[in-house]
Amino acid sequence: MGTIITVTSGKGGVGKSTTTANLAVGLANLGKKVVAVDFDIGLRNLDMILGLENRIVYDVVDVMEERCNLAQALINDKKAKSLYFLPASQTNDKDILEREKVKKLLLSLKEQFDIVLLDSPAGIESGFEHSIFLADRALIVSTPDVSSVRDADRVIGIIDAKSEKAKNGEEVEKHVIINRIKPEMVAAGNMLSTEDVLSILALPLIGVIPDDEDIIGSTNTGDPIINKEKSIAAESYRRISRRILGEEIEFLDLKVKKGFFKRLFS
Amino acid sequence: MSFLSNLFGKKKSSASVAKDRLTIMLAHERVNCKLPYLDDLRNDLIEVIKKYTSVDDVKITSQNNQNIEMLEVEIILGKK
Repeated sequence: MGTIITVTSGKGGVGKSTTTANLAVGLANLGKKVVAVDFDIGLRNLDMILGLENRIVYDVVDVMEERCNLAQALINDKKAKSLYFLPASQTNDKDILEREKVKKLLLSLKEQFDIVLLDSPAGIESGFEHSIFLADRALIVSTPDVSSVRDADRVIGIIDAKSEKAKNGEEVEKHVIINRIKPEMVAAGNMLSTEDVLSILALPLIGVIPDDEDIIGSTNTGDPIINKEKSIAAESYRRISRRILGEEIEFLDLKVKKGFFKRLFS
Repeated sequence: MSFLSNLFGKKKSSASVAKDRLTIMLAHERVNCKLPYLDDLRNDLIEVIKKYTSVDDVKITSQNNQNIEMLEVEIILGKK
């Protein structure tokens, strides 16, 4: 039986899909059989980040409505051979998912894969609920700004209320990913630090991803940044992937080191 | 020059302002995941206190920082 990991955030635009895509590749590169599922019904975008948009025939709703079988809808990644992708549907009816059908699909994915990575939609509506109710673990992505942290806090507060695992007396394992941190701004006191965010959210950290312009380039070309050898964001994602599998890996040192003055005053 | 003003404590950094604002905001919002039994609890408390003295009001506030949950009970005694 595999593990269902939901990537969520509350606020939109904080890098959920980018995180899902990179961790999916990272976990597959570590030898796991992974499926990344785009649960943002109506607003597909994980496909473009993974560079698989041209290969979509069927989507997640087609599978649930039994218009095709699961194998027909799964798309195998070009590079990471043990990574599969299940695209979101583009229906206008965002309430199309039914709990029983979602459950059936997720349980069969869980049987076939080591890791089922769910890209949850923003918000706390039914789409979010469907993506969280069978989750074994949740990764909460937040950028270091007030609105993102506030929404993350709200989502953290309702994860257990919506989860089947919690109903059975267990707890959904939750970790925070801090995205787009700018070490220079943190050093200057103009951005919340990792420690600030963690003390507010009161959850363990699983990774910090520095703001990196190369991520835009890799989204442009549909080649997740984790494939890039020399990139600090890629290294962050590689380390998070290992931590997800239970390895203890040092956190990257993102403190600003250059320059005598900065060292003196930071 | 922000590092100089930080050094001499003239101005609070915007990050620490953000942290303070969030902490206060969230302390309020976390209460909103309301405890369903609060009203009943409040009425029961009033009944018990009435046995001993007169009571004007009982205020119960809950605080929660995701690790601990706390109920604060404030009993305002009535004038005899």
